[in-house]
Amino acid sequence: MFEKLEIFQMAHAMARHAGSRHAVVAQNMANADTPGYKAQDIADFQSLMGNAARDFQMRATRPSHLNMSHSPGAPAVFDRPDAIADPNGNTVSLGSEMMHGVNAKRQHDRALAIYQSSMTILRSSFSRR
Amino acid sequence: MSEFSNALSVSSSGLQAQSQRLRHLSENIANVDTPGYRRKTIAFHTTMMGSDTPGLVETGRVRMDQSDLARIYDPTHPMADESGNYEGSNVNLMIELADAREAQRSYEANLRMFEQTRQMGRSLFDLLRR
Repeated sequence: MFEKLEIFQMAHAMARHAGSRHAVVAQNMANADTPGYKAQDIADFQSLMGNAARDFQMRATRPSHLNMSHSPGAPAVFDRPDAIADPNGNTVSLGSEMMHGVNAKRQHDRALAIYQSSMTILRSSFSRR
Repeated sequence: MSEFSNALSVSSSGLQAQSQRLRHLSENIANVDTPGYRRKTIAFHTTMMGSDTPGLVETGRVRMDQSDLARIYDPTHPMADESGNYEGSNVNLMIELADAREAQRSYEANLRMFEQTRQMGRSLFDLLRR
């Protein structure tokens, strides 16, 4: 588990993803009354990871990607598909944005908890007691 | 961390836009009985400065509502014409109040988002503490 410290990379990627998603949600929220604005979103962390969970690696088109020495690019932003437009063409719903924001925050907390508990394990293996 | 500062700047632009809107709404409400007053409206639009910068919300120019002014019959009014009517304002209190409620709701949502972003940043810094 700690040979290459992949769990830290995973927690890092998860926290990063939560941060980007939260920024997108904040943008939607700020534009909740802008006429013609389309609500935006980025893909789930799960789908970005893909089948990587099996071999515990991030999926990448080239192995030089995602080796965390240079960080991966921001995930692609797309218009949220299931949104219903207001009469002024705005597709932001404050309620669902609120939910997405809370989800992003929970994902971020989860990632930090994973990081911290791994750190605790690592520390206790170093300490002499 | 830059995602957090992006989120903070977007949220604060939202707060600013909503408070601007509320300012004009209160101006309209205060002038509901001013003869000849036309209600002011502002439009929101998104600014995209670059591909990676977030879409901040901005308020556009203030426009006057060009709908007809209300004609009020009061022959004793100093501005009344020969038929005894004078032109009031075209402010509809119901519309202004509903608009103000919407602005308040959006303001609160942006504030909530701002607070949430700060919490996420703080929990990140807490990792450094120990």
